[in-house]
Amino acid sequence: MLHIKPILSSLMRSKSSPILLLLQIILSVAIVANASFIINERLSLMQRESGYAEEQILTFSVYNFDPSIDNMKQNQVDQQILRSLPNVIDASYSNMLPLSDSGWMDRYVDGPDEDTAKSTPGFAFYLGNEHLLNVMGAKLIAGRNFSADEINTGLDDSGMLALVSQPLAKAFWGDESPLGKTMYQGTQTVTIIGVVDKLQGAWVDHENFEYSVIQNIDFGGSSSNKSYMVRALPEHIKGLEETIRKAFHAENPNRVLDNFQTVAELRDRSYSNHRLMATVLSIMVVLLLLITALGLTGMVMFNIQRRTKQIGTRRALGARKRDIIQYFMVENYLICIVGGVIGGMLALVLGQQLMSLYSLPMVPVIYPILSVIGLLVVTTLAVIVPAAKAANISPALATRSV
Amino acid sequence: MFFYYCDLAWRSIRKTPMLSMLMVLAISIGIGITITTLNVYKTMSYNPAGDRSEVINSVQLWSQGLDTWDEFSSNMTYTDAMNLRNNNELSFKAATFRTGLAMQSDNPKIEPVLQSVRVTDRDFFKIFSVPFLYGSYWDVSVDERPAYQVVISQKLNLRFFEGKNSVGKTVFLDRKPYQIVGVIEDWNPQPKYYDPLNGAFNDAEEIFIPFSLTAQEEFDVWGNTSGWKFEPMLTYNDRLLSEKVWIQFWTELSNQEQKQSYLAWLTRYVEQQRTMGRFTDSAKTPSELVQISHVEKWLEDNNVVPKDTRILVGLSLLFLSVCLVNILGLLLTKFLKRAPEVGVRRAIGASRGQIFSQYMVEVSMIGFIGGVVGLLWAFGSLTALHAYFEVDQSLIGLDMSMWFITPLIAISTAVIAGIYPAWVVCRTKPSVYLKAQ
Repeated sequence: MLHIKPILSSLMRSKSSPILLLLQIILSVAIVANASFIINERLSLMQRESGYAEEQILTFSVYNFDPSIDNMKQNQVDQQILRSLPNVIDASYSNMLPLSDSGWMDRYVDGPDEDTAKSTPGFAFYLGNEHLLNVMGAKLIAGRNFSADEINTGLDDSGMLALVSQPLAKAFWGDESPLGKTMYQGTQTVTIIGVVDKLQGAWVDHENFEYSVIQNIDFGGSSSNKSYMVRALPEHIKGLEETIRKAFHAENPNRVLDNFQTVAELRDRSYSNHRLMATVLSIMVVLLLLITALGLTGMVMFNIQRRTKQIGTRRALGARKRDIIQYFMVENYLICIVGGVIGGMLALVLGQQLMSLYSLPMVPVIYPILSVIGLLVVTTLAVIVPAAKAANISPALATRSV
Repeated sequence: MFFYYCDLAWRSIRKTPMLSMLMVLAISIGIGITITTLNVYKTMSYNPAGDRSEVINSVQLWSQGLDTWDEFSSNMTYTDAMNLRNNNELSFKAATFRTGLAMQSDNPKIEPVLQSVRVTDRDFFKIFSVPFLYGSYWDVSVDERPAYQVVISQKLNLRFFEGKNSVGKTVFLDRKPYQIVGVIEDWNPQPKYYDPLNGAFNDAEEIFIPFSLTAQEEFDVWGNTSGWKFEPMLTYNDRLLSEKVWIQFWTELSNQEQKQSYLAWLTRYVEQQRTMGRFTDSAKTPSELVQISHVEKWLEDNNVVPKDTRILVGLSLLFLSVCLVNILGLLLTKFLKRAPEVGVRRAIGASRGQIFSQYMVEVSMIGFIGGVVGLLWAFGSLTALHAYFEVDQSLIGLDMSMWFITPLIAISTAVIAGIYPAWVVCRTKPSVYLKAQ
């Protein structure tokens, strides 16, 4: 027995405050549903595995500004130096750094004729030598890595080989194995010799983020500005910067070493906007629930004061404490559920607006539903304290004052 | 009368401390969040060009082939940049891109620094009103016949020359001697509107060198290079001759007439290039292949304000409206509780208008206190944003206008919330409460 009818008629008599409560709940549901959806979306973006040994890879850039430096030779010497340093597991040149927000993008086509050939989706285009895979800590799941004698130094060399990431292989060849396939870039051919389990690109928000290729070119000789990746155990990373600086400057002082960062740090920076958004929205949701709850408590308290006499009378006529508490709870739930339904619909409309304006994905229905449930819990907590206070009103109060 | 109402309001606020605190809390949190997001939005959407926004224009050309990119690129090819530079109809024009060079001076004690460098024409300084401390930009002839001249920032001048006038002195960029012709004062427009493509809130470059040196010095490009077809880039000359886009082009057009005549010139240029086999997108007419964007449009097109910021502003305004409804409920509660008191005042002779204005003063006071507390919240949250996230320093300074906007929003929120309760209470019939006493 919930006695809905008397509660409804009492709500109808003093409309303004329940209407305000209703309005507040409608708005709260709409905001909380959309905010929690965005939060969840960002968190799942941030939780994607990169496939790299992030904590173990130190990256840095070198700029050789002495025009007399032979970049081709220097690149080889520098890599030898890096690999011979104590605690270094492996080191390699790379034309771009994973999750760094800057790099190369390219595509292959599957035939020599540009007009008829089918193009792969755009992919992150890593150029490196046989050490790169080991430095990255990426897992080869089919085929083989490059061997030392297969490494090219220029983009127009022959004998191009490539490792492709598994998601790219799936997207272009489906279930067929890409191993041994010949792809084209202009007139140049590339043979695919390996598939890597996971190999993310540089741009965390790009739709082709998981599509990557490593080609067998050590491009470090092509310009005076280049980046290297060094792998070492996390406990050794800290001291490594100083060691590398010393070793490089001892070899040739005419260069600037800069941007020492681990891939974990690069990742952190790349996702910082998402982390910011998720944090700000979470704070907003918590504050919103807090304000709604406090407002509700305040209003219920006032209602109880106003209805002290009625409550006393009811108690005198035989209502139990439970009945009084139940009265306030049911009143709250009625408003919450009506507000929740309207608010849920508003949330979907708002989601649609966001979707069309900012190309966000549509809010799934589960989010408004969860928001309503969350709100029911919060309002229960907000109402139960003043309602319990009301239940303690003595029946004698009803008869005392006239 | 106003001060009397203020006094009454203060008494009334103190009479119900819990309820008043709840209201101040609600309004301050709503204001805090709104001001935080609004402040970030406002700084991001700031147009540093000010009243020159319409005059400063960037040029875009649709040089891509059929069915490739579906938008104008912000950059253009070297070929087009060179041809546009050579058009003498324009009084001010500058091609520009970013590179990086190691800077040294004669003094071996000062360690070389790797600096980001702007490669551009002399008009760049005029178009963007760059202020000079010593000397000036290079001579107009340098834009035609390359010379190793350089303009550096005040900061670098301090570092390498102890802040003395260094015009005429020599610095080494990648070990090549350049003669200093000018030192600029601190100049760091935020957003970096002349090149928002490499991070719209990055610092401005501190070294400027002539664009005419590009072909012979083969400067690396520290920015985006994009291509819409496969073109091998084995040498720097391949880059210069390719259809790849990597250069921005700026000009000054002071009125509609100049804009129209320049657009007409660009159209003729595209027609002429078509006869040479370029601009191959046959689905468009030549006049559709050219575009000039003033600074406002340019910032908009390059998404200087991220969509996340817009979403946050929208959600925080909704948040504020929840706070408003919340306060409305609390005020109604509070005012109705005081109805008997109002009944007495009405019976003694207070008019409805007096009662109404008394309560409006009270809500404005609550709004004002809420606004002040909200400003503190906003200040705290902006500081926290800077400390815990990589939010740029320039984005977290509280904008001057916020000191005016905050109390305005706070008081109007409170007043909107207060109108209905005050109206209800001033309609109180004195007789009802007099009888009940």
